[in-house]
Amino acid sequence: MNLGFLVGVFGVLILSHAAYSTIQYRGLLKIMEEEFSRPPINVILELIIGLALCMWAALTFPGKFLSIHPDSDENRAVFLPDNSDFMIFNHRGRLFPPQIDMKF
Amino acid sequence: MGSSEKRSKDIMSDIPTFSAENLQNNLKVIQNSRTFLSIIAGVLAGIIGFNGLIGFVFYFVVMLITSVGLMAKAGFSADLYFDSWNRVLFDGFLGGLMSFVLFWTFAYDLVHIF
Repeated sequence: MNLGFLVGVFGVLILSHAAYSTIQYRGLLKIMEEEFSRPPINVILELIIGLALCMWAALTFPGKFLSIHPDSDENRAVFLPDNSDFMIFNHRGRLFPPQIDMKF
Repeated sequence: MGSSEKRSKDIMSDIPTFSAENLQNNLKVIQNSRTFLSIIAGVLAGIIGFNGLIGFVFYFVVMLITSVGLMAKAGFSADLYFDSWNRVLFDGFLGGLMSFVLFWTFAYDLVHIF
């Protein structure tokens, strides 16, 4: 569990509290026999803050973007496999040298 | 022999080499972000009490903000992480619409009807 997940949970809790406040406000309007036009200001502020927190959580919690280019620093091969005896370079493929500039 | 070798070299140099695993990871991250924000947008639309087309306009506004956020997350250089800009901006734009409508009607019923 990390910060993004906690922020997302906190945002959902704020939205839940905003929903509960709106339910209370609707009950109050029923008592006063008035029509519902929009939620009160504090509920709107809670909704905006909840949306901002959930937006931040949605952009951080699912994970980072990884580079798709094989020659970037993130995709460097930093170790060789254990079975080095099976790595044979002298085969018929040497007639077609690869054009990929791999960094090892 | 020389021409066939040259042709194979040209074919190999024309095809760009991408890391498919990392591209799949990036697309999965985008899908998860958009799905979660579709659900949150539905809950917000229900609590505020949106009806009709205003709710769908709200959904597209939230998706646009998500696109800007994903652009910022990619560092405004989509070439490093994706094969085109459309992957960041528009991929999955309509995918969360059903989740949005589901949670929109659910939250509206909870808050305004029951």
